[in-house]
Amino acid sequence: MTKLTPGRVVLGAIGLGIGVVAVLSLREATLSTHEPVTGNEMELVVSARTEGGEQNQTLAEMVEAQLQTCRLEVASDLAGPIEPLGDGRFRAVLTPAMDETNRRQFRGCVEDFMIDHVQINVIQFTVAR
Amino acid sequence: MKVIAWLAGIGTLLSGVLYMVVSLNRWEWNRALFFGLIVLIAEVGLATGLVLRRLARLEHRLGRVEDPEVRNILRETRPPSRDRFAWLRESSQQMNVFITFLVGGGVLISGIAWVVDRVASNTTSPAGEESLGRRIERISYPAGGLLLDDITVLAQEVPGANDDQIRQLLRRGGRP
Repeated sequence: MTKLTPGRVVLGAIGLGIGVVAVLSLREATLSTHEPVTGNEMELVVSARTEGGEQNQTLAEMVEAQLQTCRLEVASDLAGPIEPLGDGRFRAVLTPAMDETNRRQFRGCVEDFMIDHVQINVIQFTVAR
Repeated sequence: MKVIAWLAGIGTLLSGVLYMVVSLNRWEWNRALFFGLIVLIAEVGLATGLVLRRLARLEHRLGRVEDPEVRNILRETRPPSRDRFAWLRESSQQMNVFITFLVGGGVLISGIAWVVDRVASNTTSPAGEESLGRRIERISYPAGGLLLDDITVLAQEVPGANDDQIRQLLRRGGRP
């Protein structure tokens, strides 16, 4: 049996405190807390690249598929088609505007591994109007 | 090498945990799952390494004799190793009973076989020939041959002539 010294007790308490704070912080960061939003729509600009995909798949449809998938996780929807800006960049408008939690969730979904052979990075995601 | 392996395992574990937390914080669930899997693999590898290291340490501790005096005594009283091929050297230097029996038995059996062969060859061949002669006697030619000349046939008409074989041949030819 290991002897319980004051130093070990202090170290254990510190470790326990750090663990509790880390778990609470992670809980806070991943918890959905919705709030009223000012604004009607969100403007999204992403850059995308594909590698190793099928020959009959285009980057535009991959981006559209991922955005359509991710919009199901939030309360907003795509307003209009996705515009290609060239050089692998695309622009989309979503209505209504999202609160902070939904923005983080949507952004995380867009940049996550949702569809094979495509990687999307969010360049701009702001309230347009 | 072991240190590099341990460092690689610990580095993988810490990096996986870090990226997993960052991915969770960014709401990137699939990435978080992926890095969680990496963390799990590294954790299992490190735990296995720790258990194996502890077992090796225990084996080393149990197999070690602490007192050098006891170790010397054990070394000096160690029994000599057995000579597992002594039988091979003995058989090459002196006559072995097995070989004696083998050679003697071979000579004896060869002699018996030679005697049996000689007796058989001297007894079976004459008896066989005699039996064969008796069997083919029925189909043997008559002693004087099968053809009779006219002089011999006419000579049978002479009073006093008496040749059984010629008369037998004449009967076979339809003559009285």
